[in-house]
Amino acid sequence: LDGTLTPMESGDYLWRVNDHSKTRREIARHSQKDADAYDDYGMAMVEMGRFAKPILAMTPPDPMSLDPRGLLELLSIGKRFRNMRYHDKVNQVQLLTMSAVDFLDQWFETDALKATMSASGIIGTFLGVRSPGTAYVLLHHYMGEIDGAFRSWGLSRGGTGSVSNAIAGAARKFGAEIRTDAPVAKILTRGGRATGVVLANGDEILADVVVSSVDPRLTFERFLEPKELPDEFLEAVRRYKYRGSSGKVNLALDALPDFTCLPGRGEHLRGAISISPSIDYMERAYDEAKHGAFSSRPYIDMVIPSLTDASLAPPGKHVMSCFVQYAPYHLQPGDVWDDARREAFGDAVIDAIAVHAPNIRNIIRHRQVLTPLDIERDFGLSEGNIFQGELSLEQLFFLRPVPGWAQYATPVEKLYLCGSATHPGGGIMGAPGQNAAVRVLKDFRK
Amino acid sequence: MSAPVVVIGGGVNGLVCATLLARAKRRVTVVERRAEVGGAAVTRELAPGFLVPSGAHSVGPLRADVARDLRLGEHGLEFAPGNAWFTALDGRGHTVTLWHDLARAATSLGAHSPKDAAAWPAFMQARTKLGRVVASVFGHTPPSVDAPSTPELWRLFHTARAFRALGRADGYRLLRWGPMPVADLVAEHVETPVVQAALAADGVFGSLLGPWSAGSGLLFLLHAANDLAGNAAATWPRGGPGALAAALRRAAEQAGVTILTGTGVTEILTGSNGKATGVRLGDGRTLDTTVVVAGIDPKTTFALCDPMALPAEFRWRAGNYRTRGVLAKVNLALSGLPVVPGADREQLATRLRMAPDVDVMERAFDHAKYGRYSPTPWLEAVIPTLVDPTLAPAGAHVMSIYAQYAPLTLREGSWDTEREGLLRAVLDTLDRYMPGVRSLIVEAEVMSPADLEREWGMAGGHIHHGELALDQLFTMRPLFGWSQYRTPIDGLWLCSAGTHPGLGLTGGSGANAAREILRAG
Repeated sequence: LDGTLTPMESGDYLWRVNDHSKTRREIARHSQKDADAYDDYGMAMVEMGRFAKPILAMTPPDPMSLDPRGLLELLSIGKRFRNMRYHDKVNQVQLLTMSAVDFLDQWFETDALKATMSASGIIGTFLGVRSPGTAYVLLHHYMGEIDGAFRSWGLSRGGTGSVSNAIAGAARKFGAEIRTDAPVAKILTRGGRATGVVLANGDEILADVVVSSVDPRLTFERFLEPKELPDEFLEAVRRYKYRGSSGKVNLALDALPDFTCLPGRGEHLRGAISISPSIDYMERAYDEAKHGAFSSRPYIDMVIPSLTDASLAPPGKHVMSCFVQYAPYHLQPGDVWDDARREAFGDAVIDAIAVHAPNIRNIIRHRQVLTPLDIERDFGLSEGNIFQGELSLEQLFFLRPVPGWAQYATPVEKLYLCGSATHPGGGIMGAPGQNAAVRVLKDFRK
Repeated sequence: MSAPVVVIGGGVNGLVCATLLARAKRRVTVVERRAEVGGAAVTRELAPGFLVPSGAHSVGPLRADVARDLRLGEHGLEFAPGNAWFTALDGRGHTVTLWHDLARAATSLGAHSPKDAAAWPAFMQARTKLGRVVASVFGHTPPSVDAPSTPELWRLFHTARAFRALGRADGYRLLRWGPMPVADLVAEHVETPVVQAALAADGVFGSLLGPWSAGSGLLFLLHAANDLAGNAAATWPRGGPGALAAALRRAAEQAGVTILTGTGVTEILTGSNGKATGVRLGDGRTLDTTVVVAGIDPKTTFALCDPMALPAEFRWRAGNYRTRGVLAKVNLALSGLPVVPGADREQLATRLRMAPDVDVMERAFDHAKYGRYSPTPWLEAVIPTLVDPTLAPAGAHVMSIYAQYAPLTLREGSWDTEREGLLRAVLDTLDRYMPGVRSLIVEAEVMSPADLEREWGMAGGHIHHGELALDQLFTMRPLFGWSQYRTPIDGLWLCSAGTHPGLGLTGGSGANAAREILRAG
């Protein structure tokens, strides 16, 4: 990806690119102070990332158990923490607890810069940029994985298959069989132990181990009977929060959008374009969603993949994919996500883009709008949460998805979880799956 | 002989700290800018014969060891009994009173929801159980982050044991409650909207947080712990909070503390060796000493220091310490008792929390984010004259109201011009819960956070001397690694609510700080 363009309310723009010194010069155009702070901030975040990475790759220890291994692991985190510089220690604590805006306020003053950076803290959550607990997602940018994960998510079929196809290819090469169009209807158990699955078409697949990469609601409430699970566990599964908050708009375009802040065609269209002109804009978008309506002026993260892969559209034409927030799954009482509301939501997105690229209205050939309800139906993600459950502090690490059940195992023997609903959660490609595999193999060796 | 001590600020924590130091044979001078000591514990005559709590309307509760060690009872402090947590009003004639008596509370809840009535005792038990664990760290100095001493490790071990003794279910509950939004927390236990709102208030009181903000669950937990750390009966001083100030003053003077009022500290002096050498007063005098204890908030304290005496990183962090006040105060003198539909006299004598549901509170909060005060604020009112009739002429009453949210900095206008608008918003809202209350008003005063800042000198007008956020608590209060009441300036100590454990008028911070200062010799 070639950076992020943010059209500003003043008519100017902020264009951060992957070239550090170029970005620094661009930021200096808005604030010399921010440009100076950018280096310091970047270095701090790299340190934070170095601390966090091993935590993401570990199976969360259970703080309520007396298992010495888990306690040692917790202790080792504590030790690594102690060995950090004072400056980094404070940043680390703040990153885990503060809002993205409060955290960034300590370094920067340019509103559009802070708004765009903080946007990564709210993607896929039902929180605003001023909500405590949103700062830590800022880190993901410095671990080099999240941008791809966010932006490739849910692109039209032709576009993003490449990553999934590569993984599927690897799986097949190692001997895995992949069945598609094969929805699971039920997980089979005998004597508290998973023995296989039944497909919707009635086929039974018997197995020694069942690993579920779908969310807890489907796994435990749909595929199992309540009597197969302890009451307390089931209660925690029901309490687990999804609260999908994002939507998606895919556009087929006759031409490229023309931004008033940086007219014409150019490199700036090849990266992401972020409609996040100010912190207030972002926060207002959240306020509306909080009270049960989609944002009339939403935050939008756009990419035009046909600029990098010409095969995605006929010559001269383009496709544009817009990740949109907020579109709450739960609307205020009396409102539903029907066709009319879906289109109204789509209109709001186009209107918000048109503020900065007025030609957008005239170049749309086709428009597809996905609401959280559509995402739930099409992708099997409960309440349309793209991360299989909110990434809020009380649903992370040893609390994800159920306190005491964060180690990929479940109360049903031989049934494991490996989806984004497990540590370290969504947005970091493949990490929960890898951690779960380690766990399953460990149990196998016993 | 030990060096004499100067305590800056004669608030509750400053006086507690000063008295404990004087008892240990230290020569102590308290310097108070205002005419009276007591800080936010003040009783003031609003109109002839009408005495209002012009700062806080209840105290702490005062920490049990503080009340005992200072023998405040012998100095004339008496408390009126409180028999309820609060009464929740929705403005539509529904009232629920959460009496301390669980069975009685359940009856009140049951009128709206049998489910809530049934769930109440277990919820309160959980709150108490978890609150106890949190309260167990209140009395101690937070451990050093870099090199915890053996006693510190021992205490940590004890806290860890208390935590584990909770068992799995409550242990995990404690871990979940902290970072949760208080709205979600209370909704897991109670379904009646007006009760949810009144409970959620514990999670946002004094903070720039809405009930749906993450981390507000922690404040709910802190208040639970605070109630347990103190003697619940030590909440309502007879004669108003000013009686606490008077008792503290007498205790301090009897211990030999010198109290200077009417003059503030304008500068904390440091020598070339980076050590504290004294303070400069507003009248130009200097007091020479090597031990200076700041009973004022941390941000204001460091602003009084020579910047060069503080390390750059510390200065930057201290500058970012968050003190964004959102609470406004309204005091009323009333010619008669207001009528609250659905509430009897006994209920009116409790804290009255006014918001029909959490959503209304969240909307009140929304305005503060954009630099506006809430047109329909969340209110908590008390009518102290129902418990103590001597505070007003016969048949008349006084009312003290906390109103949220009123941000320190307004985007449009200033508090000098908007103060009346805020009062109007508060009275309009109050009138929905107490129809006709306006016609009873003899005198009214309103204080914005800017007034609180000006009047009491607390940075940002923040009643807690700094946000009670996850990253500004315990070993991080006020700043990470500086929670042991010391500062980078040798000889300068902190003892205000901006240090651990903080929270309202408990004396806890002052007592903890005194212990550390005495230990240092």
